[in-house]
Amino acid sequence: MSGFTSGGARPAVPELMKATTGAGSFETEALACIDSLYRTALRLTRDPADAEDLVQDTYLKAFRAVDRFEPGTNLRAWLFTILHNTARNRARDRARDTVTADSETVERAAETASGAGLDQPVTPESLLLRNTLDPDLQAAVDALPGVFREAVWLRDVEEFSYAEIAAMLAVPVGTVMSRISRGRRMLFDALSRAKTLKTIQSHARLQEA
Amino acid sequence: MPDCKKLDPLVTPYVDGELDAPSRAEVDAHAHVCPPCHSRIAAEQTVRELLVARRATLQKDCAPAALRARCGAAVEKGVVPLFPGSRVKKGYDPFSLRARLRPLALAAALVVVVGGAFLYQLTDRSARVMAAELVADHIKCFGVNRLLGTSQSAALVEGSMASSFGWRVQLPARPQQIGLELVGARPCLYGEGRIAHIMYRHNGRPVSVFMLPRTARPDEVVDVMGHEAAIWSAGNRTFVLVAREPREEIQRVASFVHAALH
Repeated sequence: MSGFTSGGARPAVPELMKATTGAGSFETEALACIDSLYRTALRLTRDPADAEDLVQDTYLKAFRAVDRFEPGTNLRAWLFTILHNTARNRARDRARDTVTADSETVERAAETASGAGLDQPVTPESLLLRNTLDPDLQAAVDALPGVFREAVWLRDVEEFSYAEIAAMLAVPVGTVMSRISRGRRMLFDALSRAKTLKTIQSHARLQEA
Repeated sequence: MPDCKKLDPLVTPYVDGELDAPSRAEVDAHAHVCPPCHSRIAAEQTVRELLVARRATLQKDCAPAALRARCGAAVEKGVVPLFPGSRVKKGYDPFSLRARLRPLALAAALVVVVGGAFLYQLTDRSARVMAAELVADHIKCFGVNRLLGTSQSAALVEGSMASSFGWRVQLPARPQQIGLELVGARPCLYGEGRIAHIMYRHNGRPVSVFMLPRTARPDEVVDVMGHEAAIWSAGNRTFVLVAREPREEIQRVASFVHAALH
């Protein structure tokens, strides 16, 4: 290899590579969750820049708390718990400056509002909803009040158990179930309304034509 | 319907398939005779099934590459590198962050510099600066994307080099001669996507071969950030082989690739 010449003194940076070698390390596995953390942060904040901040803080906190993570337990659920704690703390900080409805109030209001849902008859809506367009579904999810949005999202999209969600949200399992339940029913009502509206509109257009 | 209240808390676990058989039968029996509860269960079930069926599209958002790189540094080093384009965080005390920066942080920051058109211009500058950028990319590609275990065929990589870079390359026919195994190629977002990145394993450790088109520079081996970067030029292209191995080993592998790459 006469063509190759030496270039400069060797800087000693041995630690640099420790974390990047060896698949299956804490860091690698933690980073494998970044997409679902980011998506969930997007649903929580509904703002890409805030979502990025939240995810970045989550990884910083994970680094600082790594000693408290028990190997063998669910790393993904642990990271989601940090994400939600961070989001809650931020909401609390913001609430000091602005008056916002607390989640209990929202929950009670929703309970009253959707109490009438039970006497809805079984309709072909259930079938119709299957044709809901993706953007409409996403919009309806994003339009749910925060506590219901996160519960339904964590259960139906991110596939966490009730117990895992309860730990993340720091609420009892019963509350998790009732939030999922109400969130789903609100979503059902919103999607049904949108469907009915569209059907009426297309009928009207047909008659005009 | 006296059972409705009692069954209410069972509806959601029923829909989620979390009930044991007796409770499940209880709900079934009740729903059979109670239209309101039946419709409530149907509504929940419809929404759950819809969400589950659309999981893939609901999960389409991916973390941006720059965020991924920052989080990689955060979880590995506990610092968020301050580099151009990074967001200034609200309520974040820069002094406390700076206080955490150890001497290694500068190198850590290099690891996560991503994107940016500047690399291509950097190729006009010193070999060390160019090598540092490529080492950073080498670490990022292998470390962040967990690619070491994959293996693409030579034909696939050659095809993507031809279509992405107009580079009709023949990869070394028998890389195993020197202990190399092909991992694959990635469209490198570095240097406006004009730098090709082909990845190998060498005795299980990551090796990168970068190809920079329309560039020539003198042959040399540079060590930077604990890695060795062997640089050579051929046919108005510059090649940089990056790995974390002893210099003699790098020179041996580089001269093999140099000779076997057509």
